[in-house]
Amino acid sequence: MKKQLALAALALAVAGTASAQMKPEDAIKYRQSAYGAMGWSMARIKMNVEGTFNKEDVIKSANVIQAIANSGMGSLYLPGTDKGTGWEATRAKPEIWTEKEKLGKAATAFNKEANEMAKVAATGDAAAVKAQFGKLGETCKGCHDDFKAKN
Amino acid sequence: MQSKRIRLWDLPTRLFHWILALAVAASVASGQVGGNWMEWHGRIGLLVVGLLTFRIVWGLVGSTYARFAQFFPTPGKIKAYLRGEWRGEGHNPLGALAVFGLLGLLTVQVTTGLFANDDIAFTGPLSDLLTKGLSNQLTGIHHLLTNALYVLVALHVAAIMFYAHAKKQNLVRPMVTGWKEDGEGESARGGGFVALVVALLVAVAVVYGASGAWLPPLPTPAAVETPDF
Repeated sequence: MKKQLALAALALAVAGTASAQMKPEDAIKYRQSAYGAMGWSMARIKMNVEGTFNKEDVIKSANVIQAIANSGMGSLYLPGTDKGTGWEATRAKPEIWTEKEKLGKAATAFNKEANEMAKVAATGDAAAVKAQFGKLGETCKGCHDDFKAKN
Repeated sequence: MQSKRIRLWDLPTRLFHWILALAVAASVASGQVGGNWMEWHGRIGLLVVGLLTFRIVWGLVGSTYARFAQFFPTPGKIKAYLRGEWRGEGHNPLGALAVFGLLGLLTVQVTTGLFANDDIAFTGPLSDLLTKGLSNQLTGIHHLLTNALYVLVALHVAAIMFYAHAKKQNLVRPMVTGWKEDGEGESARGGGFVALVVALLVAVAVVYGASGAWLPPLPTPAAVETPDF
């Protein structure tokens, strides 16, 4: 029993260290992948709004954006990862680590609209989806303008 | 020389000017807000492509004071103007610098905009022709030059106010009515119907090219067979 407990404690400790550590390169990759998945989802909502409206597809995409928005992506912005390469060179600006209050506001605005996007998508109201899609896009821009390098 | 009422700006030049002013204001506003306004940002951009193309052709075939050769600001002309020795109608040499500056800057703005993307849900109509990296670079230029645009527009408006208050010259009225009350030169000539049609046709053709309507369509995921998962 004691041995088992000790083993379990050891396993927990190992797992604990493993989850607390992350290669900066991986952090940047995860960030870029998450934004890529959101890019796909935005594109699919746009396609549905502009072409034939498929309620289910819009719900799927809105849920992806909502899930990523609420996933705590901030934890991927490890100190020093304003430089480095994931799938490509990061475009995170150093201001992410210095203008915390401004960043927080932009991120909160995005989360709010992402949650709202999922709600509106569930109604299947194409016009409302289009309007909310626009609002959501404006909050993406809220971060891009100040915290994402253009190239 | 005795001053008289002269015909200064022809109607196409005036229409160009005021529509461009509105279009630039609308494109700045829509670009700053983003979201669904980006659709309008794109449409207004194509309008500006048409306006600039028209103006460039009109600068070759339009009436007297609309022609680039008439007001091209050579160093000699600029020096003479700064010494107060320049006499003429139409754009003065410094104003001409502003005209070429604004036309040139807006040309770069619409061109980079056609290939730009916002990493959200909007892409310029020709951005698919480039790699994402190059599109990103042009987007950076597009954003950066917005500041230069603010400066040039502010200078343009400040100069007009300077002329109104310090030199007691109303530059706005001729741009509205086409007539200058105390002119010292000849009335504008040329820029007839044929020239107008040519300039409009070239503008329409360039807008068509810029719109990307001729690009082969991309596959629509909903319309093709894809794996079911």
